[in-house]
Amino acid sequence: MKRAEPNRLVSLMVDNLIWLFVLGAFIAFSLLSDRFLSPYNLGNILLRSAAFGMLVLSQAYTFITGNFDLSVESSLGLTAMFAALMLVTSEAGGLGWQLDPLLVILLMLILGGLIGLFNGVLITKVGVNNLLVTIAMLFVLRGATYGISPGTSISFFPKEFTWLGGGTLARIVTDDGNFVLSVAGIFVILAFLVGHIHTRYTQFGRNMYAVGADADAARAAGINVDRVVIIVYIIAGVCAAFAGLLQAGRLNAATPTMGANLIFAVHGAAIIGGMSIYGGRGNIIGAFGGVLLWSILDTGLNIMGVSPFWIDVSRGLLLLFAVLLDALRVRYQHNVQMRLALADTTVGLGDKEQSGG
Amino acid sequence: MVETGALPRRDMTLLDMRGISKSYPGVKALEDADFAVRRGEIHGLVGKNGAGKSTLMGILMGIREADSGTIAIEGETLHQASPQTMIDAGISYVPQHINLLNTLTVAENILVGNLPKNRFGLVDWKAVNEDSQARLSRLGLKLDVRQPVEGLSVAERTMLAIAKALFNDARLIILDEPTAALSRVDIDLLFGFVRAQQEQGVAFIYISHHLEEVFEICDRVTVMRDGRIVGMRAINEIDVADLIHMMVGGGVEEYQRESSAGHELVFEVQDLSRRGAYEHVSFALRRGEVIGISGLQGSGVDELAQGLFGLERMGVGDVTIAGEAYRPGSPKSAFEAGVAYLPQDRHRYGLVQLRSVRENVTYSVLDRLVGRLGVLMRQDEQAITEEYIDKLGIVTPGPEQRTLLLSGGNQQKVVFAKLAATQPAVLILHEPSQGVDVQAKVDIFNIINDLSRQGVAIMIISSEVRELIGLCDRILVMYEGRITKEFSRAADNMQPEDILLAIEGGPGDADA
Repeated sequence: MKRAEPNRLVSLMVDNLIWLFVLGAFIAFSLLSDRFLSPYNLGNILLRSAAFGMLVLSQAYTFITGNFDLSVESSLGLTAMFAALMLVTSEAGGLGWQLDPLLVILLMLILGGLIGLFNGVLITKVGVNNLLVTIAMLFVLRGATYGISPGTSISFFPKEFTWLGGGTLARIVTDDGNFVLSVAGIFVILAFLVGHIHTRYTQFGRNMYAVGADADAARAAGINVDRVVIIVYIIAGVCAAFAGLLQAGRLNAATPTMGANLIFAVHGAAIIGGMSIYGGRGNIIGAFGGVLLWSILDTGLNIMGVSPFWIDVSRGLLLLFAVLLDALRVRYQHNVQMRLALADTTVGLGDKEQSGG
Repeated sequence: MVETGALPRRDMTLLDMRGISKSYPGVKALEDADFAVRRGEIHGLVGKNGAGKSTLMGILMGIREADSGTIAIEGETLHQASPQTMIDAGISYVPQHINLLNTLTVAENILVGNLPKNRFGLVDWKAVNEDSQARLSRLGLKLDVRQPVEGLSVAERTMLAIAKALFNDARLIILDEPTAALSRVDIDLLFGFVRAQQEQGVAFIYISHHLEEVFEICDRVTVMRDGRIVGMRAINEIDVADLIHMMVGGGVEEYQRESSAGHELVFEVQDLSRRGAYEHVSFALRRGEVIGISGLQGSGVDELAQGLFGLERMGVGDVTIAGEAYRPGSPKSAFEAGVAYLPQDRHRYGLVQLRSVRENVTYSVLDRLVGRLGVLMRQDEQAITEEYIDKLGIVTPGPEQRTLLLSGGNQQKVVFAKLAATQPAVLILHEPSQGVDVQAKVDIFNIINDLSRQGVAIMIISSEVRELIGLCDRILVMYEGRITKEFSRAADNMQPEDILLAIEGGPGDADA
C-alpha cells in the first residue's frame, strides 16, 4: 500500500482544484472591485447563470457516461419558444391558445425529454457517432426554433410561468442595496443536489459511472449500457428544457436566439469543474463549482467594466486553461503509472551502478 | 477446514473437452483436441503462438463455436455454448490486459451492478466498503477497497479480477499470461494467492510462455502444437527440455534460404541501453545478411525494434549505418537514414486500409514523385505501383483496390512494397509472417530472400523459431533486456530446442 499513499493527497487536490479556483476568483474580485461584494451582486450571481447551470448539469450527466450532447443549447431555445407560443395571446406573438402555464411547463419538459430520447436512441441503437448526431440536432432544433417563431421575440408571460426563472423568495434590504434570494438560484442549487444524490447514491447513478469508466466491463457486469445512455440523454434533454424555462422566465420573453453559442462555455465549465469527456470521472458537485467559477468571472469582469470583447477573451482563456488542466491531469496520472511500471523493472538500472563504480 | 466432507475430491474431473475441431477458411485451427482439467488443480496450457491455445480457450468460453466435439463440466455435457452458459457453468477468464472499471474504487468494482442500499434505496457507501472488504479478506486478499483501481499494480489487478470471478461462483479460472508484466516479487504475491484459492478447490488453467513459471505453479501441463494436443503430463514427470521438445515437434518441411551475406558492415549497434527496456545490446549486420532476434514478451525485443526505428527513444549507445552515426528522432528520420520498418500490427501502423494499393505503396516515396508546380507525377506513381504488384505477386484486381479488401497475406505484401520502394539499406521486420496463410508466408519469405540478394541487411523480430532458422544467417536471443545467446549457420548450432530454451531463459552464455 506504500505506493498508493503519496499520490492520493495529490489526487484529492487535483480532483477538488475547482473549489480553490472558486475561492481564489471570489477573493480576487472582492479585492479588485468594491461593488463585487455588494448584496445586490451576490444575489445576482446565481440568478444570471441559472439556465447556464442547468445546461452544465445536463452535460455533467452525459460526461459521466463518456458522452456529450451539443444540441442542448438548441433544445433550450426550442422548448422556450414552444412554450411561449402556447402561452401568449396572438397580439403578443403567440398562437393565442393561452394554455394553462403548468400544463405548458409539463409539455416543454416532455418535449426536452423526447429530444433526448431521440438523440440517445440514434447513438446507442442505431450506432451513429454522438458528435455527429448532436451537431445535426444542434442545427435541426435551432432551425426549427426560428421556423416556429413569429420572427421576433415573444413576451408577456403569465406569472406562474415566470416564477421559477424570475421569481423572488425573499428580499433583504440593506444600506448597500437589496439582497435578492431568487427562486432560480435556489432551484439550481437544489437541482445540483438532486443530481449529486442521484449519481452518487443510486444504483443507476453508479451504473452511469461504470459505463463511462469502461463500457465493455460494465456490460460484462450485467449493466444494460444502452439503456443507461438513453436515459442519460433524456435527463439531459429535460435539464435543457428546465434551462429554457429559467431563461424565458428571467427575461419574461422568448427569442429565437436564446441559448445560441452557449454549449462550449457549458462544456468548459463542466471540464474545469473536474468532469472529463472520456467518462467515469468527476462529480456533480465539482460541476457546480465550474458553474460558480464561470459566473463569478463573468459578473466580476462585468462589474469592473471590462469590454465584452475582453470578457470573451477571458472566457476563451478559461476554457483553454480547463482543457490544459485536463491534459495535465491525464499526463500526471500517466506519469504515475509509468513510474510504477519502471519501479517494477531492474533492467538497465543496477548494472549502470556497477559499471560506474 | 473441519468438515472434510465439504472439501471437493481432488481426483474428480471438472472439465472434459473431447474431440474439439475448428476450422477457419484455409486454416485448421484445432483438430480433434481432448483437454481435461481436474477439480482444484492448476493446469498449464503451453504451445507457441498459433498452436491453437486461444481457439481452444475461446471455445471453452463460448465466444467461438466448435465445428465438432463435446464439452462436459462435472460430467454434465453442455449442449449449447454461449458466453453466458459458460459463465453460469463457473468458467471465468482473466485476460492479460484486465478489464476493470479503472476510474472507480476497488469496492465498486467488486459490487458493480449490485451495490448495497439503505432503507431509502440509496447506495450505502459504508456497507459497500465494509462488504467488499469482508469479501476480499475471506479470500485472504489485502487491498484498500476505497482506492481507485487505476492506482493498483498489475498483480493487484490480476488478483482483483480473480477475486471477482470467485465472487461470481467461478470454479475454473483461465489465467492468460498473468505474469507477462510482473516483477518477481509480484509473481510470488500472485502465485501465493492463486495457490490459496486452489486449496479451496478452485481450478485454474494457466496459459504462459514462461515455462519456468509453469513448472513452478502447475500440477499438470497440456502441450499444443499446430492445432493438436501433443500430450498431457504431470509436472513432476517431465523437465523443461521435454516440454520444449513437445512444443517444437519433429521434422517439419522448412523453407531454406541460401545465405547472401556479404562482408561489408552496414548496420552496427554498440552497447545500446534503455532504461526499463534493454541493456548492453550489441550486434552488427552485414550487407545482404538476414538475422533473427527472438525473445519473450517483455524481453526487450519489441522495444529494441521500435527504438531502432525512432518510434520510441533509442536509449544510450552507438548505432552506425555504413559507418555514419545514426540517431533516429522519428520514423521519418529513420526512413531518410535508410532504415525501413515493418510493424507488427500492420492494421494500425502499416497500412491506411481505406486507401488504395497505389496510395499505400507510394506514401513513403511521394516526395520523390513531386514534379514541377508541386503536382504529383501520376504516371511514375503508377509505374512504381505496378512494378511492385508484379514483383511481389500482390493479388489485387488493380492498383486502385482499397487495401482493406485484400487478404492478410496480400496486405502484408503491400506493406513490403511500401518499404521496398524506399530502397532501404536496413530493413527491420516485426513478426512478418503473423496472421498470413501458408502460401503468402512462402511468398513473403521469397520477398525477404530477394531483398537480401539486392544487398539489403535484414533484421527479423519473430517468435516463430522454425521460420527464423530457415531464413536467417544468425539468430540472437534476448532475455530480460540482454542478448543472451547467439546461434548461427556458421556454428551449425541452430537447433530449435536450444533456441527455445534460450528464449525461455534457460542456460545461456552471457554474451561479451
